[in-house]
Amino acid sequence: MKKRALFTLAVSTLFVGLQAVGGSSSVQAAEKTIKFGAPLPLTGALAPEGIKIQRGLNLWMDTANAKGGIKVGNERYKIKIIYQDYQSNTPRAVQTAEKLITDDKVNFLFSPFGSGATKAASGVSEKYGIPTIASTASSEAVYNQGYKYLFGTFTPNITLTQPLTDMVIAKRPETKTVAILARNDFFPLAIANVMKKSAAKRNLKMVFFEKYAIGTMDHSSALVQMKAAKPDWIFATGYLNDLILIRNQMSELGVKVPVLTMVAGPAYKEFIDGTGKLAENITSAAWWHPAVRYNGKGVMGKTENFNKLFKAKYNLVPDYAEASATAAGIIFQLAIETAGTLDHKKVRDALATMDTETFFGPIKFGANGQISSLKPPVFQIRGGKPLVVYPDVIKQIDLKFGIK
Amino acid sequence: MLYLQILLNGLLLGGLYALIAVGFSLVWGVLNVINILHGTFIVLGSYIAYFAHLYFGIHPFASVIISGSVLFCLGYVIQAGIINRVVAAPVLMTLTLTFGLDLLLNNAMLIAFTADYRKLILTDSLGSYDLWGLILPLNRVAGVGLAALLTFGLYRLLRDSNIGRAIVAVRMDREAATLMGVRVNRINAVTFALGALMAGAAGSIFSIIYPISPINSGLFLGKAFVICILGGLGSVPGAMIGGIALGVIESYGALFFGPEHSTTLAFVILIALLIFRPTGIMGRKGYE
Repeated sequence: MKKRALFTLAVSTLFVGLQAVGGSSSVQAAEKTIKFGAPLPLTGALAPEGIKIQRGLNLWMDTANAKGGIKVGNERYKIKIIYQDYQSNTPRAVQTAEKLITDDKVNFLFSPFGSGATKAASGVSEKYGIPTIASTASSEAVYNQGYKYLFGTFTPNITLTQPLTDMVIAKRPETKTVAILARNDFFPLAIANVMKKSAAKRNLKMVFFEKYAIGTMDHSSALVQMKAAKPDWIFATGYLNDLILIRNQMSELGVKVPVLTMVAGPAYKEFIDGTGKLAENITSAAWWHPAVRYNGKGVMGKTENFNKLFKAKYNLVPDYAEASATAAGIIFQLAIETAGTLDHKKVRDALATMDTETFFGPIKFGANGQISSLKPPVFQIRGGKPLVVYPDVIKQIDLKFGIK
Repeated sequence: MLYLQILLNGLLLGGLYALIAVGFSLVWGVLNVINILHGTFIVLGSYIAYFAHLYFGIHPFASVIISGSVLFCLGYVIQAGIINRVVAAPVLMTLTLTFGLDLLLNNAMLIAFTADYRKLILTDSLGSYDLWGLILPLNRVAGVGLAALLTFGLYRLLRDSNIGRAIVAVRMDREAATLMGVRVNRINAVTFALGALMAGAAGSIFSIIYPISPINSGLFLGKAFVICILGGLGSVPGAMIGGIALGVIESYGALFFGPEHSTTLAFVILIALLIFRPTGIMGRKGYE
């Protein structure tokens, strides 16, 4: 009997407890929230990139919430971002996106990292009609699927390589040959291919074009071959790990070249820390740089203010991936506030017709959903800092040649 | 000259590969434990070297002693405290156990050090030496030299010391060794600790060559598997030969088939070897 009494007591306590929890959550629910889903690679090979996006999104969420959240008609909604880790595994990114939509019932979605996973997951948001912003997808193949609900903050890859090629040739007309070493991966290969196009357009001779496998631990054979081809310009693509290794091995093997461009890594502080003096004079291009100056709308305001807030929160200088994530949040907020409703179709239309400026740059999407208004800066590492060499309006320094 | 340079690069890479595999091969060969932790041990060794250099200015070649000792102790504790409990169980059991331990250690490192890539940069880097047009990357040469020294040390230890002979005895026949008075559990722990020591030392040497991140542990582990199967399990010379073979094959593979297919070639040879000589190049039953 005693046991049963105890059991009843335990059950009733539990029940009361549960009710209390339920009660408090219903109190919370009185504060209206908009749920955003963010499938990100928070562990695994792409974790550094995933964490960058999370930083950018959190900065937007916290700043906007501190200012009262998103204004929808006459009401204010708090922002809640639901993160789901897809462990750097693209098929899982698709499942995760679907889970966020069906289980967590998010109102809007951010894309997973990079062009490959974004393309894979875009079919899911299209199926459910969930407006989705991709903050790290640049390849046109992602946007040319005829989808209506996908928008992206990166311009096509050619907008990175073309200004760079034009500039190198203008400043160093004796540049005749180029060698490309590309990671055999969606974005690094795509940017290598557009570089090939840009080079061909300016009559540069391609003396070496090779791909390396993901997880390559040694680049010496490729570098020795490149060295033998004596190019004026080496263009290497990959992520941090690859590019740090390539740069170090270039130095070990005595590969010297007038122009060395690396995408995407030199914009990150970790790259400069990981290569030290060897980073000097490396050129790169990215969709954003902390030196750009825009008079932005939305909670961040001007670019200077974004840099300041980012520094205050993380004690870091923001890079383009982090900035793009924050911008994606602001773009959603501006679109929702313009639409004055959470209706998916109406927010989607507000995104499609958006024409504004943020700290990230002017925001206007093309018919396929990819941003068309942004002018990506070219920069060069000088004295351990990435400094802008193009466009002229925000130029900090003149392009210099010679890699030892 | 190009071919010679690529041969040299392949040999140097192979020397590093051999160091990855030697500890892994020892543990697999003697204990019949496939140690999934091995890659993470190497990364941990790299972090020890990185921080020793950052805070105390210790050269990574000197911090081999620190990372080797730390990993030796860690390895001893893990084997004596955890793995010994299931060491006699089928190999899948110990594999699962080390897999689980690897998840724990690797994620602990992700939390402690973040996934950001770091790189140890030497202020007094040796640079490279031009030998009649053949470029010798001196840091790498020194690293491989040290690796060879360590491997040779392990080889002599196994051959000449009492504890080494006991390890070999356990490898050949566990029951007989027990009957001869060998304390098998202790030998297990020492063997595992030696494997971890080699991983830690490898990590220290690698810290000047590879960017450091917990994420890289899988890369090292993958190479260790291939090298062990190429060279044959459980023997120090086997791991050496396997490592060097893989380094040279990958380097020439990159030259002839493009860097994209350098590993493809290595795997094709691996499959052929598994079909025609499943014991590996140097593998044989028994030990030494």
